[in-house]
Amino acid sequence: MTTLLKVLYGFNPLKSFLTPKPDFLEITCRSKHRILPKPKKRFPPWLIKSTRSTRYEDELTSENKTFLKQLVQEKYPRPESGYGSYSPLNLNIVESAVEWSPSYQRAGLIARKIGVYPMWMKDGRKVLTTLFQVADNHVIKYQPPETYKPMITKRKTSLPPSKGSLIIGADSADPQLFTKEYCGLFEESGVMPKRLLARFHVSPEAALQPGTPLLASHFKVGQYVDIRGKTINRGFQGVMKRWGFHGMPASHGVTKTHRRPGNIGSGGKKARVMPGTKMPGHMGNRYRVLKAQRIVRINTKYNVLWVLGSASPGECNSCVQIFDTVLPLKNCNYLKQTPYFPTYYPGRDEELPEELMVDDLHNFNDPTIMFTEDEE
Amino acid sequence: MAMSVRVRLGSQFRNIMRVCFHENRHMSTAEIVVEKSENPKEPERISLEEQQRLNDIAKNERMEKLLNMRFAYQEFLPDPNPKNRNTLKERLERRDMLARRSNVEIPEFYVGSLVAVMHSDPHAPGKNNRFMGICIQKIGAGLRASFILRNFIDGEGVEINFDMYDPTIQRIDVIRLEKRLDEELFYLRDAPPEYSTFPVDMEPEYQPEGSAVPVNEIKVPLKPLPWLVKWERMGMKGIRDVTSMLTEKRLRMSKLKQFNKPWEKYDLLKMYSETIPIEDQVEIFSEIQEKLHELEQHRYKMKRSRNFVKPTKMG
Amino acid sequence: MNLPMLCMQSRGLSTSSALSQVIRLTRLRVVDNSEIGKQAMAEGKPPYVFHVYNKMGVGYIGDRVMVAIKGEKKKGILVGLKQNQKKKVPKFDTNNLVLIEDNGSPIGTRIHVPIPHILRTLMKEKTHSKGADYTKLIAIASRFI
Repeated sequence: MTTLLKVLYGFNPLKSFLTPKPDFLEITCRSKHRILPKPKKRFPPWLIKSTRSTRYEDELTSENKTFLKQLVQEKYPRPESGYGSYSPLNLNIVESAVEWSPSYQRAGLIARKIGVYPMWMKDGRKVLTTLFQVADNHVIKYQPPETYKPMITKRKTSLPPSKGSLIIGADSADPQLFTKEYCGLFEESGVMPKRLLARFHVSPEAALQPGTPLLASHFKVGQYVDIRGKTINRGFQGVMKRWGFHGMPASHGVTKTHRRPGNIGSGGKKARVMPGTKMPGHMGNRYRVLKAQRIVRINTKYNVLWVLGSASPGECNSCVQIFDTVLPLKNCNYLKQTPYFPTYYPGRDEELPEELMVDDLHNFNDPTIMFTEDEE
Repeated sequence: MAMSVRVRLGSQFRNIMRVCFHENRHMSTAEIVVEKSENPKEPERISLEEQQRLNDIAKNERMEKLLNMRFAYQEFLPDPNPKNRNTLKERLERRDMLARRSNVEIPEFYVGSLVAVMHSDPHAPGKNNRFMGICIQKIGAGLRASFILRNFIDGEGVEINFDMYDPTIQRIDVIRLEKRLDEELFYLRDAPPEYSTFPVDMEPEYQPEGSAVPVNEIKVPLKPLPWLVKWERMGMKGIRDVTSMLTEKRLRMSKLKQFNKPWEKYDLLKMYSETIPIEDQVEIFSEIQEKLHELEQHRYKMKRSRNFVKPTKMG
Repeated sequence: MNLPMLCMQSRGLSTSSALSQVIRLTRLRVVDNSEIGKQAMAEGKPPYVFHVYNKMGVGYIGDRVMVAIKGEKKKGILVGLKQNQKKKVPKFDTNNLVLIEDNGSPIGTRIHVPIPHILRTLMKEKTHSKGADYTKLIAIASRFI
């Protein structure tokens, strides 16, 4: 029977309709409303496999290798005077001329968390800052709200239909590392294939042309941003580490229950464990958003953001998404700031110095902080 | 029960510091053998091999000079934990450190040196504050570097922890530059007060330029029990023999095998993961060397010009 | 050697807490020249805390505590702590206490150990126009660091 089915399947004219469409760009959050997403046992069929399983390096002669290298360099040359990497398809970036309005949602950035170190405020206070490097961000694709239909199987989408989808890639890499299908995603924008991709919901007014580079100066100093990242994977943990329970006494006749949760439910009518009870389980390795973090310093040469606080999700050298905060009392409108809209264009917007700092942060180039008597 | 005082050993930095004070060991597992140049004055016909050899010696000497910066500029070495390392972040941090150093002189001093710190204090009446004492700990990498000063003032032991790159610090004066036998002097808390009492208005002691940093080989006696830490187990070199103070049981316990870790000196991987490799050190110090040298020259000039303007009265 | 110390040594345990926090039953050192304080320290019966006037139950620098001293109950202010402090705030070898009246003025007339500068600001913050006046404590200090 199974063999018969297999044969039939092989000759099925509708095969192309039955197999899922490999359109990576239409994926939405698969686990948005679940607290604990089910572990995926296999590679999702709709996701394009990015990395090649085998690389035939040994079969290449040295001439072939140099030829391939040359080919890559020709196709994706280094920028001469511009910024970011160069896109041959988009020599002239079309700058949108729409004025910023508080209702518009701008694009975000993909950044790498590179470390934490202290800085001092002008009043002598020591603060910890987290450094994010904005690594080679480019717009890959934009889908307007009319054509953008996120693939959601069970639930209705909670997204307003007014938002389009903007795919942004970061961290350019050699195209030889990736599969042909994955490299095909970057044909429209003409940029080098990227290791990392992320999707942002943007207003149609804030849409960007594919191939547009995004820099750290997309944000302004003093602005508040949300940081979305994958938390540190801690594995299967008990309740003391995972939920901060106090455990049980070390002595006084206690045996074998020093780090256990104790009672997890009650008797009587509701003789069951209530849903959502805090229990041992897998800790970390899921996306979390840290909201309203203040950008205190920007380096425009290395594209580094200094963000106040040290609690951003993920470990050092992991990737995060940074976007304008959603909190109403911290956003640009409330704080009377005007962000670069839709993004910072080096030709159009004013030229920025290498270091940008908020007014109350001490610059290490400045002389020692002195307090005066009447300052109290 | 917990130990009375939690001595923050700071396992990562402790190892560096330990290595720093033991000249016979290097910071990495790889040994560098530096040959001494003999400077042959007579002009001889130098063969190619000979020239190569001399070049190598010169290179080694340069290398040694560069690597010796790890004693004076210890905080420029990053946190050796590979999980926290990032080249760009370290470079930016070093740039900030040098920027701070161009505004204030952070002199070379070690654990055991007498140091005075003048800093802006919003709580003090003159908005300035000065504290002088013996440095009992130097810890931290990068902008997190800090040190603790200890002194006895009015019969009360006082310790203050300072950040080395704190922009409120106006001046750091080294009153007496010397080293002690240990890399942490927390046992001074259990020693009689005279061993950590120093007059606040002490005059700085100058040493001839280019002389090696002297090591003060003083052995400190401890007060009778109880102590804050079980010092007999810590293997401190700067403590006088304490066996007469201990009870028989405590003495026996201190000699127990479970507190000895004889394998640690052979644990190459531990050493490697807790230290910065030599190649990284060379890269770091060659990057900062020029700027530091420039700053030093500038300071030297300023000092001389100041001396010329205000000659001191003799006799 | 007294009995508790013998017990401690025989069992090989230490009775001081890990964080050196000032909590209930912590013994303090009176550092002013009040009669009752001097007597208590001379007799070897230093006062102990039985209430800390904050919500944590742990006394930090500048906090008000109630102590039992020579069979009486007195209020005092913590002017120096043994536990680790923030950067640039001094840490002392003993937990120091200055005894005060209910209205905030100190019982003694002089403090014979150094007082941290930060206490000026802390005491000023705690003084309210209608409440107790703690700034007199700053006036009797002999030395600040």
